[in-house]
Amino acid sequence: MKEKTLKRPITSRGEKHTISKIHKKIKVALRYLLLIIIGFIMFLPFIMAFFGTVKTDKEITAFPPKFFPEVWHWENWARVWNTDLGQGGTFPRWLFNTAFLAITVAIAQAIFGSMAAYAFARLKFAGRKLVFNFMLATMMIPGAVTLIPAYVLVSKLKLINTYWSLILPGIVGAGSIFMLTQFFKSIPDELEEAAIIDGASHMQIFRMVIIPLARPAILTVLILQFQGMWNAFLTPLLYLNSPDKYVLNVALSIFQQQYKTQWNLTLVGAMFNAIPVLILFFIFSRYYIEGVAYAGIKG
Amino acid sequence: MEKRAKKPTRQGLMPAVLTFLGVTVLIVIIALINAPTMGGPRVMASVSTYLEEVKATGIPFMIAVAVLAIILGFFFAREVYKVWPIPKKRKEFLTGYAFLAPYLIVTFLFTIGVIFFAFYISFTDYDIFTRPTWTGLSNYAEAFAGFTDSTKRDFLQSLYNVFWYSLIVLPIQTFLAILLANLLNQPIKFRRFFRTIFYAPSVTSSVVITLIFVWLYLKGGYINYFLQTFLGWFTVDFAGVNWLGDPRGLIQLIVGAFGGEIPSTKWYLRGPSIAWMSIMVQNIFTTIPTFMIMFLAALQDINPALYESASIEGASKSQIFWRITLPLLRPIILLVTVLGTIGTLQVFDQVYLATGGGPLKTSLTPVFLIYQEALGVTGPINMGYASALAFILAMIIFALTFIQRRVLTEGTERY
Repeated sequence: MKEKTLKRPITSRGEKHTISKIHKKIKVALRYLLLIIIGFIMFLPFIMAFFGTVKTDKEITAFPPKFFPEVWHWENWARVWNTDLGQGGTFPRWLFNTAFLAITVAIAQAIFGSMAAYAFARLKFAGRKLVFNFMLATMMIPGAVTLIPAYVLVSKLKLINTYWSLILPGIVGAGSIFMLTQFFKSIPDELEEAAIIDGASHMQIFRMVIIPLARPAILTVLILQFQGMWNAFLTPLLYLNSPDKYVLNVALSIFQQQYKTQWNLTLVGAMFNAIPVLILFFIFSRYYIEGVAYAGIKG
Repeated sequence: MEKRAKKPTRQGLMPAVLTFLGVTVLIVIIALINAPTMGGPRVMASVSTYLEEVKATGIPFMIAVAVLAIILGFFFAREVYKVWPIPKKRKEFLTGYAFLAPYLIVTFLFTIGVIFFAFYISFTDYDIFTRPTWTGLSNYAEAFAGFTDSTKRDFLQSLYNVFWYSLIVLPIQTFLAILLANLLNQPIKFRRFFRTIFYAPSVTSSVVITLIFVWLYLKGGYINYFLQTFLGWFTVDFAGVNWLGDPRGLIQLIVGAFGGEIPSTKWYLRGPSIAWMSIMVQNIFTTIPTFMIMFLAALQDINPALYESASIEGASKSQIFWRITLPLLRPIILLVTVLGTIGTLQVFDQVYLATGGGPLKTSLTPVFLIYQEALGVTGPINMGYASALAFILAMIIFALTFIQRRVLTEGTERY
């Protein structure tokens, strides 16, 4: 068999075929190379910042800058972790504040969001469409408009410098309600009808039928809201003003002002901020990406 | 028959009256909390001192809201009255509003209530510690005073800056996002892996990214070093630029290269400054992945049969892209431009951290200006003025969204 094929004269057609095959292979290889290069560029700032964290104070300001650190000074990380800005302002504390706020807001948004979504998607009552359209209209309002009056309101309620100032306005969100409503609508009616025949109340249907089926959507809301609160900057900057109440983002901006030239330390702080979300992202990347894509298609 | 028809009437009357009272009282309470009064410890000491203050300054505001409360209360009461006799409808109505209650209360308090408040104080001179004094339209006039008095040009300049920002950033980031999405939409292995890697920079906070970029942009930083090395290969001498501190504008630089000069009084002819463009580059970098994901999802939604039939007809790859892919992506392009514009007009974090609005106000943005005025960073606290700016900004955003929607949907009809 092998001999036969070898003996067969190579036709011009076959030659062309192999050339186009090689051509295709090169094309595929180039495509992967391009993907890898872009991926590398996307990560380059993080990689450089990461190397920066283990450089000495001198190395970090040296020109020309070197890509790799000469010696890996991991003690920088300990230095930052143990830094005390006074009045209880330390990185462990800020990490706790940020995580606490992000988790609380995410859970509240998931609970109250799915309640509202259930009402919009599964119940028929007068004014439902009106309230839903009202909600869509509020989504158009730019955050800049409510910024100052919300600050006045929070200060009147004496909530400045308390966690409540961020939790209370954050427990519901039109965005998460909208997303959950769309998902709840896609759940088939039959299950619900069966439950109604069995004499289940709306509360029971909500808890036993809808919630278990909507787990992926609820998880997406949890993750997106967690990330949103973790990355929030302007509202925490306005509302929380004592060092023991700061969130990481605000603390980081103040830290940078204090340690102006010691970029290695500021970058360690930035890593404390970035690593938890990045870990979470790599675990749940599917939900992140679906959430964003979903906002794109349905929005 | 008549008796049966009358019975439900009586049934629904009491709940309807209670609903009316409940809704009206709730809205009035929310309005009271949001009434335009001064704050501070003396006024907020007790409920009675606060109500005293509302009586002094908030009566017109409260009357306006009371009318609204009565209308809404009446609407709810009428519906309750209608559904009460029918158990199934009653149950759905009550459950529905019970489930919506947290959303409605928080939204009325923190969105609708505060907007009424902000709208009222935008016509007053207000800092939280004294009573608001009515000044009519002077805050709105002040915002545009820069047309005649160039020392008051802050707001105009911030609009000028974001105008350049969207002009440069929007097309570039949309184009690059489509390009990346197309790259990922090809038949490749590990698509998920690459998608995850590409998206990662978008999940970290803007504070982290901005700080890293501020560091990269330092005079002795990586970007200058890279450019020096790169240009060195072509024997071009590059001295390095103080990226985030350089106020020279793009047009000014171009004119300068031909030996011209733009005087500082004509700031509006200088174009975006180097500092401002540096922030743009950083922002393009962080927003591309989000938009890329949106485009990728849309691309994967396109029916493959469309591509097949096109290639059978002998369409080239670029023809397929321009004639099939791009038109089908229009809705997402619309969304991305709208989201991009809204995001652009509200840039804050990057400016706060990287430049503080400078140099020479060339990176000032409306939201940063609102923040400065509201907190009195550079002068006295001007919450009324800041609110007026916020409303002007909102109007601009609404108008732009509307225009974009019109333009981009009109284009779709051709296909």
